Amino acid sequence: MAENVTLTINEQEVSVPARTLLVDAARMAGIEIPVFCSHPKLDPVGCCRMCLVEVDGPRGTAMMASCTMPVGDGMVVRTDTEQVQTVQEANLAFILLNHPLDCPICDKGGECPLQDQTMRFGPGISQLIEPKRLAKKHYDISDTIVLDQERCVLCWRCIRYLEEWEDKPQLGLFERGNDTIVDIQDGRPVDAKTGGNIIDLCPVGALTNRVSRFAYRPWEIERTPSVCMHCSMGCNLRLDTRTHQLRRIVGRENMQVNDQWICDKGRFAHGWVNDEKRLTAPLLRKNGELTPVQWSEALAFVADRLKSIREQRGPDSIGAIGSGKVSNEANYALQRFMRAVIGSNNIDHRDGGEVAAIATGVPALAELMKPQYGPDPKVDTVLLFGIDPSEELPVLDLHLKRALLRGGGKLIIAHPRKIELTKYDGPYLVCLPGEEAALISRLSRAVQDGGAADDSGPVAEAAGLLAASDSALIIYGPMAARGEGGPAVRAGLAGLAQAAGQGARLAYAGLDGNAQGCRDMGVLPDRLPGHASLDDNNLRERIETLWSCSLSSSAGYTYKQMLDSQEMRALVVMGADPADESPDWAAGLEDLDLLVVCDLFLTETAQKADVVLPAAGWAEGDGTFTNLERRVQRAPKAVTDPKSRAAPDWMILTHLAKQMDAAWPFADARSVTSEIAEIVPGYAGLTWEALGDQGIQWDAESVAVATAAPTDQVGEEEVAAGTDADGEYPLTLVSGTVLYDGGTLFRLTEQMQGMAHGATVSLNPADAVDIGVEAGAPVRVQSDVGSLELTVAVDEQVQPGSAWIPESLAGAPVGALLNGGYRQRVRLERR
Amino acid sequence: MELGDFLKGATEIGKAMGVTLKHLRQKPVTVEFPYEEIPIYPRFRGRHELRRYANGLERCIGCSLCEAACPTEAIYVEAAENDAEAPLSPGERYAKVYEVNLLRCVFCGDCEEACPTEAIVLGHDFAMANYERKDFVLTKEQLLNPGMPKVIIRPE
Repeated sequence: MAENVTLTINEQEVSVPARTLLVDAARMAGIEIPVFCSHPKLDPVGCCRMCLVEVDGPRGTAMMASCTMPVGDGMVVRTDTEQVQTVQEANLAFILLNHPLDCPICDKGGECPLQDQTMRFGPGISQLIEPKRLAKKHYDISDTIVLDQERCVLCWRCIRYLEEWEDKPQLGLFERGNDTIVDIQDGRPVDAKTGGNIIDLCPVGALTNRVSRFAYRPWEIERTPSVCMHCSMGCNLRLDTRTHQLRRIVGRENMQVNDQWICDKGRFAHGWVNDEKRLTAPLLRKNGELTPVQWSEALAFVADRLKSIREQRGPDSIGAIGSGKVSNEANYALQRFMRAVIGSNNIDHRDGGEVAAIATGVPALAELMKPQYGPDPKVDTVLLFGIDPSEELPVLDLHLKRALLRGGGKLIIAHPRKIELTKYDGPYLVCLPGEEAALISRLSRAVQDGGAADDSGPVAEAAGLLAASDSALIIYGPMAARGEGGPAVRAGLAGLAQAAGQGARLAYAGLDGNAQGCRDMGVLPDRLPGHASLDDNNLRERIETLWSCSLSSSAGYTYKQMLDSQEMRALVVMGADPADESPDWAAGLEDLDLLVVCDLFLTETAQKADVVLPAAGWAEGDGTFTNLERRVQRAPKAVTDPKSRAAPDWMILTHLAKQMDAAWPFADARSVTSEIAEIVPGYAGLTWEALGDQGIQWDAESVAVATAAPTDQVGEEEVAAGTDADGEYPLTLVSGTVLYDGGTLFRLTEQMQGMAHGATVSLNPADAVDIGVEAGAPVRVQSDVGSLELTVAVDEQVQPGSAWIPESLAGAPVGALLNGGYRQRVRLERR
Repeated sequence: MELGDFLKGATEIGKAMGVTLKHLRQKPVTVEFPYEEIPIYPRFRGRHELRRYANGLERCIGCSLCEAACPTEAIYVEAAENDAEAPLSPGERYAKVYEVNLLRCVFCGDCEEACPTEAIVLGHDFAMANYERKDFVLTKEQLLNPGMPKVIIRPE
């Protein structure tokens, strides 16, 4: 793209791409220039003056700010002269004029650029005898970020991050001269979903982490590179631990996944890791009470019961539920246990067999990203179909915003709510549950007509964008493709992608941290590991030899079928909580002959279990996770609780298999990974060493693409079913994921509780007036299967004719209204 | 020769007896320790002590610098945020846990040197024998209330 430019820095010839900034050119040549305001991922501003260097110009030597100065051919730069040193010393003395030097009580102390540079470049003595400026200290600018205005050196990094990446200018500079301070705007807290990144960016201790405040000192923590498991982005993290406790999480750079940003849930919501409520010993139900027992007793009991149930009722009366929240190794071991030891394909997970997914997930996140210095994203138009990145995948939201604002990207949104990203003028298509297929067929027709359809408004606009794009990407989420209509939606979207032209592709984004890996491992009733169909004889034979067993060839029950069916006599549930989703399921679980739950906490489901096995969580176990772009990344063990007897899932299952007379060759998590690499084609040759700390994306070519044939003639008739606006239940229930929900993994971080989504039902303002309720009114929401008591919120995002109740709100399970279904109509009654 | 050797030996014995007899007349230097006090030099480094300010606030701010300076990892500090209404120390931070493991400590005094607030000092108490291993870990409570408070003499 850009040709190279040669310049001289400190008598050293350096050749760098044109338009590189001087400070970056020096860094490439291994020459350090001290900076505060300059940051490789933010626009230059040149306000700290720390980076002044001598540049020879036509009018003699001048001091120039190297962070705003692009390189020029033949430029002569010196960074080590006496003049430069004098300026650096004077500058540091100036910056330190008002810096409080409370380093001993500052969380940044020990990893502070200001400390380091004062030691390296500073004058060594202080001339200041006047009192320092006083301003607000320990000032909460959000529930999770603390600002200390005295420590601030006015580098603008936090302000620039929120403007350039988040596009939410929530911080600003106020007053002038010596009194200049950073503050929030009009008292409104920083609520950007990735706002915590400003803590990492701050070059001093002005912005600190409320959750980890005073809990660590940089020199005494152990740093473990890991990945986040809150959503399927798989952002790279670093876990800072000490004395068997997770003390802090910071972002880690991976230019293929998260740049270096992470969201606030990933950064702050880690209270659950060391929570006192974690299960620490196996529990066995004795006389109706769950009682702590030894592992040997619990496993012997489970093995014994499973054997007798299998003998009496056959292997298909036993089922297992895996989870997108646990590692590949755990999921692999679970499906091997079901298929080889029990002999049934009754294995699935939530959003598994019920969702018409695409085996290969998203092509590559890097194609959507616009880094600070790099080309525009490859994908020029994105259609988000039934997925809300702001709530579900916050770092994808960040990438998309950046692509729209700086990369020339276009965004089309089809969602039941007018989600946050719709503020970027892209066409918004209302798509209430049940209307997906109809919308797709209208859109397809409009695209085929070249965007000049009979439709006017957003559909035509969207079709125009899709038709005009060279490289469109349609991303859909599980919300849009659940249940019986799912395959039709997937086929319709595939047809739409085909209609949109050569470069258009269809992608599926699961939501749980390891949603993709869970599918790759074959935690599906009709798929073997590696997305192979059950009658793929080649793979079957390989698996049968390796496992020395014979595999069942009939498809098993899906997640929903297992929980609905009366045939099920025993269930093994790992990392899932179906009892919370439906009152019927909760009752059904009580009737089982055997319910084994393997989890971190005593969940609703675990409370009904006969045996509860304590699992080692993500930070305590070693394992691999696969993100939505098929990147396999390792999350090594970071903490160990010496008092806990919890064990990793794969180990529990290995011992259970042994009790049931199957000898598995797994000694550690690594041996499970190597067996996965042997069986799953995409993971072939994968080792922990090869994964490194940036992970490896598995090759999409390795999966025989078995998605349904694309079609543009999807069921119009479904529309009728979706819009039966009878008087009794006038509103369509819209549910889905919110970032700050009431789930265990979020709720247990005390400091964040105030951020959680309230127990509300949100209505369009017009509907609220029609129904005669106002915001804050207590109501009972009634569907024909159940009811739920909530308060009303009025929200423009919610479309007329719908009611928005997020999933897993504390104390208000929307499952009570859905009862295991996906679509429901509701009515509101004041209570 | 024989007479010379005899006289020489007798002189030596006389000298030795002289020393003995001289000391017979002196007071003994042995101190009956638990019953008698021992003179201690002002900069002697004994059992640790956490000091307070005159207004009762703890000097320790939980910065963990002593822990970092300690060559034997004898110190363990866990900091927390002060309750603004009832602070334990000046500023935002205080030591929630402060422990010194006397079995590890080599009484080098590096913690004193590292402390930015002169909170931790090595006192004059050297009689630290105990019966249980766990009793050798001094808690913050014990450190704040030493049996023998120290008069601070710092090197310039």
